[in-house]
Amino acid sequence: MKGSFQYEWAHRLVQYGLLRSASLIVPAQRRAEWWREWRGELWQVRQSCAPAGLRSSRGEREVTAFCLGAVQDALCLRRAGRHSQAPFAAMKGTPRLCLLILGSALAVGYAIALLLPGVRAERSLWPRKVNPNLVLIQQEGSSDDSWPTISPRMFRSWEGRKQKYFDGFAFYRVIREPAETGMSLGGTAAKSAWGVARASTNLLTLLGLPVEFADPEAVPGGLPAVILSEKVWKRDFGADEHIAGLKVRLGQQMFRIAGVAPDGSLGLPGRVDIWELVPEAEAGPGGSGYVVAHLTAAGKAEMWARCVHITANGPDDSEEDFLGVSLEEWKPATISVYLFCLLLALLALPAITSVSLGEYSVNPRPTSWPQKLYRWSFLSAKIALLLPIIYFVSIDLAYGWTAFSREQAVYIQLISTFALCLFGLRWVLKDQRQRCPVCVHRVAHPAQVGQASRTFLDWNGTEMMCMGGHTLLHVPSLPTSWFGSQRWLYLDTSWNFLFAGSSRPIP
Amino acid sequence: MARDAKLPDTKLSHTAAMILQALDGGFVYGFSIMEMTGLPSGTVYPAMRRLERDELIRSNWEKQSIADEEQRPPRKYYKLTNAGKTTLEASRRRYPLLERLIPTGEAKSV
Repeated sequence: MKGSFQYEWAHRLVQYGLLRSASLIVPAQRRAEWWREWRGELWQVRQSCAPAGLRSSRGEREVTAFCLGAVQDALCLRRAGRHSQAPFAAMKGTPRLCLLILGSALAVGYAIALLLPGVRAERSLWPRKVNPNLVLIQQEGSSDDSWPTISPRMFRSWEGRKQKYFDGFAFYRVIREPAETGMSLGGTAAKSAWGVARASTNLLTLLGLPVEFADPEAVPGGLPAVILSEKVWKRDFGADEHIAGLKVRLGQQMFRIAGVAPDGSLGLPGRVDIWELVPEAEAGPGGSGYVVAHLTAAGKAEMWARCVHITANGPDDSEEDFLGVSLEEWKPATISVYLFCLLLALLALPAITSVSLGEYSVNPRPTSWPQKLYRWSFLSAKIALLLPIIYFVSIDLAYGWTAFSREQAVYIQLISTFALCLFGLRWVLKDQRQRCPVCVHRVAHPAQVGQASRTFLDWNGTEMMCMGGHTLLHVPSLPTSWFGSQRWLYLDTSWNFLFAGSSRPIP
Repeated sequence: MARDAKLPDTKLSHTAAMILQALDGGFVYGFSIMEMTGLPSGTVYPAMRRLERDELIRSNWEKQSIADEEQRPPRKYYKLTNAGKTTLEASRRRYPLLERLIPTGEAKSV
C-alpha cells in the first residue's frame, strides 16, 4: 500500500514536472492562461483515468501520456507566438517597410533638431546678415586687424563732421575683464576672463543685428545691461533661451544680461565675448579701438575689391590714410552647405557605384505602365525621404554640440553631408537594383552559383529570387564583356508551383 | 473580413473537422473532445489553437462560482463561430462519415 502511494506520487511529480516544463515553452503573455487550462484539464483526466481510490498504473500512464501532449501544445503556441511577435517579418523586403524606416528616421532627425539647443539657436539666429555697406576702418599701414588703431579722439572728430562717403559711425574697444556668472542661478559662480567690448550704443543698430532672447519685461534702470556674444552664450550658458535677466560680474561691476548678439556673421575683430553698450561720449576715453562705418552710395561706388581707401583729416586737421574693409563676409547658411555637398556627392556618385538600375532583360510578360510608375515612384519617394534625413542629421551633428565654433560646425556639416549624401544615394541605387521590377520587393535567398575558376568561361555569380515568383536576379561575381552587370530573368507560369502560397500581388 | 470570404473553400484536415464536429456535438472542452474523438492531447490542443487562431472556434472561461459548486477547477469552453459552422458544413460534404462518427447533439449537457 505504501509502495503504491509512492508510485502514485512519483507519477504525479513527473506529470507536474512535465506540465511545468512545457509551460516554460509557452510565450510569457499566454503562460498563465495556458497553465490554468492544462491544470483544469489534468484534473478532468485524473478523475476519468485514475480516480481517487481506484489508482492503477495504467491510469497513471494515461495521465502521464496526456501531460506529454502539453509539450506539443506548448511548442505549437511558441511557434504561433514567434510569427505574431514579428509583425515586420511579413513586411520584410517590402517597399512599405523601407519607406516606413526612412520616414521614422526623418521624424527622429527632425525631432532631435528641434530638441538640441545648439540647432535651435542656429535656426533662430540664422540668417542674420551684416549690412553689406559696412566697413571696418583701420589705419592704412596696419596689416593686423587684431590690433586697434583708431583713437577715440579721431572717432569723435569724424562723427562730428558731415561726411560724403559715410553716414554712420560706431566705435568699440575690447578689454579683458575677469567675469563671474551663475549668481542668478543660485549655483556656484564660474570665473573666467572675457573680452568685454565697450561699444557705442548705435553699434548693433548700425550692424543691423537685433538682440535675440531679450527680456520683454526688463525694467529700465537698475543694473547696466550687457549683451552676450553667441559664442559665449552657447559655450558658457548652454544656449539657454531664458538668458535675459541673469546677472554677470565684469571686473568689479555687476551687469544684467539683456540678450544675445549673433556673432556668427560678424567679421568684427577683437574676440568679443560680451557687449556693453555705452553712450558715444563714454565710449571714447581710454586706448584705441575699432570704428565701424556705414557707406553712402558714393562711398560704395569708391569700393574696390571689398576695400575702400580713405584720406581723412584728424582732430588736428592733419591728413591720414585709412583703409575701410568690408564686413560682408561669405558665411554659408546650413542649406547652402547642404546643397553644395549634395551637388558634390552627385558628381562623385558614379565613382563609387553604378548609377544604372540594372539591366532589364526581355520580359515575356511586359510590365505595365502602372508597374513602371510604381517602381519609379518608390525610387523617388526613397530619395525624397533620404535628402531631408541627411540635412537634419548633418545639422544635428554640426550644431548639436554647442562647444563647436561656427567655423568648426560648418566643416562638420560639410563633411557629414557629403559622406551621408554619397553613401545614402549609393544605398538608394543599390537597394533599387535588388528590387524585383514587377512587385518592387527585395529579392532574397542569395545563392552562389558556378565556380570562381569559370568566371570567364561560364556563369559565376550570385543568384537571388523574388519571393513572389516574378523574377530571378543574376549578379556576376566579376563583370565580364559578356556579362557586365546584373540581369533579371522573368519567370513564366511554369515556375508557379515553386511559389504556391507566396505569390504577391502585382502593383 | 477577407478571410470570411474564403471560408467556404477552406479545406480542413480530418482532425480539425473531427474537432469541429465534436464541438458541434456538444463536447466543449479539451478532454471531452479527446474522449469523443479518441485523439491524443498532443493533437487535440494544438489543433484547437489553430482553429481558434483561424477564428473558427472561440473560447471562454467557465465562471469560478460554477466550478466551485462542482468542486473542480474551472474549464475553458470552446464554441463554434459562424465561420466555424460554415466550414464544418463544407467539411461534412468533404468527409461524409463525420456525422456518423460524432452525431450532432450527442452531448448537449456537459
